[in-house]
Amino acid sequence: MPRGLRLETVLVVGGLLAWASPAFAQSTVATKTLPVTGNAPPVCAVGSPRLAPGSQINFRGLSGNTLQIDQMIDPTTLAVSAASVDVKFDAVCNYPHRLRLESQNNGLWPTLQRTLPPAPGFGSAVPYRATVMWGVVNGVLNADAQARRVNDQRFNIDLPTAGEIDLKLNIAPGASNARDNAPLLAGDYADTMRIFVEPR
Amino acid sequence: MTRNLKRPSLKRLAALSAAAVAIAWSGSAAAQSDTDTKDFAVVGNVPAMCVGGTLTGTGATFDMGVLIDINTGLLRNDLAAPPKILSGSFCSARSTITVNATPMAAQTFTSTPPAGFSRLVDYTATAAGWTTTPAAFATGAGSNPAAVQTRGTAFSGDITVSVGSFSTVGGANQRLVADTNYQGNVTVTLAVAS
Repeated sequence: MPRGLRLETVLVVGGLLAWASPAFAQSTVATKTLPVTGNAPPVCAVGSPRLAPGSQINFRGLSGNTLQIDQMIDPTTLAVSAASVDVKFDAVCNYPHRLRLESQNNGLWPTLQRTLPPAPGFGSAVPYRATVMWGVVNGVLNADAQARRVNDQRFNIDLPTAGEIDLKLNIAPGASNARDNAPLLAGDYADTMRIFVEPR
Repeated sequence: MTRNLKRPSLKRLAALSAAAVAIAWSGSAAAQSDTDTKDFAVVGNVPAMCVGGTLTGTGATFDMGVLIDINTGLLRNDLAAPPKILSGSFCSARSTITVNATPMAAQTFTSTPPAGFSRLVDYTATAAGWTTTPAAFATGAGSNPAAVQTRGTAFSGDITVSVGSFSTVGGANQRLVADTNYQGNVTVTLAVAS
């Protein structure tokens, strides 16, 4: 009988050990972690131009992407009349980038290129000054009209930038590629300005 | 040698004695009418435990892809991803399910973004199927009382984990800084309730 009791005790203890082991390997807490991922690619975007209210002097306004000067010359002196305008563009660039301001002609030049040299004493192109503000940049492009060529200025911006590109165009009174206040040859004059926000 | 046969050693006697006991027990069960009962206590326990199950489908990651509208730089308003299913989850006792989440954060652009930009995206993570009311956690909320839900009984089943309601930290007019990797984490925890 004592031997039987001893056997019984061994069985009970053995049972506890055998069943308790898997239980200790389990947990009262189970956790799963699921990552949520995505990306934001480098993006630069520039919206359509619009005139800043009350900013235009001697400009008829903005038609599409064209700015039309109202009175290009003083009818009494034939010298260039002053004109200025402020154009704004909504823009964003979400990474360090470069702003490039480009004048295609380096001034207002006749739309029909002449085959003959300009008449002495007359201006044949009109210089102007473009000022641009964008984020931390406050830059200037002088289109001096001394030669018909592409003229650009580049500005590096180290930060993502969002807001408005503010472009001011200014033609000084009497501006000319000949001499100040020189009369301007008859014709249509134009230039194309381009604004780039682009990778550096 | 002869003496050994007549007087077995103590070890041999013990072995014979044990065999005799075993034979006596089996003999008494078959040949005697009265019964002799031996009770052997066979005990065990089922510990309270929870197992989180396994993911079915395409991996553990909610890949949201491109987060922004490339024309505006603003957060897309149509972000969506298929839910993840945790299959075979179980708890052997009363349990709680808890969902927690961290905002999606730009992993490369870690400095403070300039004005007009953000490097964080909030969202809401939901774990449904375990409790009547899904556990939900909004990363942009000051508190998330619905993040912990309790189930009164043991349960085995699927847990559906979803993400949605994405928004840019700082406001809808903030743009996200460019970064190839935005990441947050959703954590679902099953725990035995006390």
